[in-house]
Amino acid sequence: MWKLKYDKLIDTDIGTRVGGTKKKIWNKTAVQLLLMVIPGIIFVAIFCYLPMFGIILAFKDGDGQLNVLEAMMNTEWVGFDNFIAFFNDPDFGNVMINTLGLNSLMLLINFPAPIIFAILLSELPFKRIRKAIQTVTYFPYFLSWITYGGIVLALINSDGIINSILMSCNIIQSPLDIAGSPEWFWPLIIITSLLKGLGWGSIIYIAAIAGIDPQLYEAARMDGANRWYRITKITIPMISPTIVLFLILSISGILNNGFDQIWVFRNLTNLARSEVLDTFIYQYGVVLQNYSFTTAVGLFKSVISITLLTIGNLIAKRITGKGII
Amino acid sequence: MVLKRVYKKNQLLVGTTGKKQKKTVFDWINVVVLVAFAIICAYPLVYVLAGSFNQGKDYINGGIFLWPRVFSTENYWVVINDVRLWKSYGITIARTIVGTLTGVLFTAMIAYAMSRPNLIGKKIYYYVFIITMFFSGGLIPFFWVILEIGLFDTFWVYIIPALFSVYNMLVFVNFFKTIPEEIHESAIMDGASEFKIFFRIILPLSTPVIATIGLWIAVGHWNSFFDTMIYTSNNNLWTLQYYLMKVIKESSLPPTGSSLPADFLENIAPETVSLAAIIVSVVPIFAFYPLIFKSLTSGVIIGSLKG
Repeated sequence: MWKLKYDKLIDTDIGTRVGGTKKKIWNKTAVQLLLMVIPGIIFVAIFCYLPMFGIILAFKDGDGQLNVLEAMMNTEWVGFDNFIAFFNDPDFGNVMINTLGLNSLMLLINFPAPIIFAILLSELPFKRIRKAIQTVTYFPYFLSWITYGGIVLALINSDGIINSILMSCNIIQSPLDIAGSPEWFWPLIIITSLLKGLGWGSIIYIAAIAGIDPQLYEAARMDGANRWYRITKITIPMISPTIVLFLILSISGILNNGFDQIWVFRNLTNLARSEVLDTFIYQYGVVLQNYSFTTAVGLFKSVISITLLTIGNLIAKRITGKGII
Repeated sequence: MVLKRVYKKNQLLVGTTGKKQKKTVFDWINVVVLVAFAIICAYPLVYVLAGSFNQGKDYINGGIFLWPRVFSTENYWVVINDVRLWKSYGITIARTIVGTLTGVLFTAMIAYAMSRPNLIGKKIYYYVFIITMFFSGGLIPFFWVILEIGLFDTFWVYIIPALFSVYNMLVFVNFFKTIPEEIHESAIMDGASEFKIFFRIILPLSTPVIATIGLWIAVGHWNSFFDTMIYTSNNNLWTLQYYLMKVIKESSLPPTGSSLPADFLENIAPETVSLAAIIVSVVPIFAFYPLIFKSLTSGVIIGSLKG
């Protein structure tokens, strides 16, 4: 993801760039511009705001209806019953443990990893090797999770290379069923995320490091600062705004998992550790057509995420004096 | 102006270490660690390539790590004889081309209007757009909208909901604002309309950012499978990724039927066939990768430029 910069955009309002002189607002070009922006407004009205209206489903008794419209219109209001049903669902605990557990591990491991990678890469004195490493490690990011998952499933198969290596080193006696055991699901997700996304994930930090004034390093070197000092006292503080921004975005996404990734590795045998909120919503909503129930679950997710984002933004504002929103 | 400087220097590849320095132990450890990681990233593709060219029956015994043991192209024959592959390939190519062209144009046009100072009510539109980045109705209400406007089970369900992205719009706006105001003023003097300015002047001046966002959208279209799974039920609308998912997750051997001889099928295994299918689907990404790499690495700089 790229850095969001709309805070600055909002400031530029009507007329600030017309050169100070007061011009007629409704002229020909203004109408033409309006015609250009209207399709966008219509688009978000249909695909973003109309679904928001559909949230009323969460407060209605629409489960088991033939279609979504039926579920929305010809049903009783039930208040927060759907939410209570979700909290009392026998799967609730497990789904939340999987969602929060996986995402906490991601925050702990997969969030700092690209930062470390970017710093190590920027410390590499061999230009060509550096470019080669970037070229190779960015590549998996552009494959779909279906493709990458298919590749990984072949690697961890009972006759795949992982089991072969472990067996030839006598670490295990019989092949591990990595894809089919719940206890392997989390490590599988973490490691495949790292292999697929770490390279590309580092690019935003590499860009931030590239933007640091080289004179700072020059001056530090003059003063006899060693590498460790340069990294901890110059590089990390200089890229910390980027780190904070992405930390807040990651924390607010604590209830979101990459659906595609989970989906490709999830199967009936590892369900105990692989059922997360997103797959739960798909299973109960699209497959089993519990429209109201899953809309409530989705709303619960949205509300938590926007709350975390707001809190994160407030904290960032308090500390750095500048929020992200 | 700033952009040009950044493009020339290609700063992404410049590190914090000075030009001539003595290599320390740290440098050597660092290079070993990073190269090892790169090899681990690249290796799975080598494995798949080797497996896909190996005879299926033999592959099951394991041990094919770097190159095929019993070389065979049977897996590819099975894959390319599968009508579903070509159909889904066609759908994916179509959606990628149509979706990228329309998506870029649509988003850029709105962004252009949003970048102009004399757009009436701009502040309101910004809020209308930005709220959608943080709050959404969720899966089921969106599904309902798709059904209601008649997109369900049509090809256009791949195109229309992907026409516009607020995020990409903001990137475009950022870029358009760096284009000197004088260009716009002189065009207005010549009596050009805003549409004409957008298509004839602004778009040609914006090729780097168009390439970047276009490639983003294209890769997204190529890799998408969720919309096929949810918004279609017709087999003729399968996308490539959905086809792959069927082959991989359900390890369903393509219905080879009469097109292949019986003795040929004896040596086939679903594992190697799906590896071949993976390779076939990755080829376009691989072919375009130099372009993707170049354009998107510099694109990140556009995105991260201040203001």
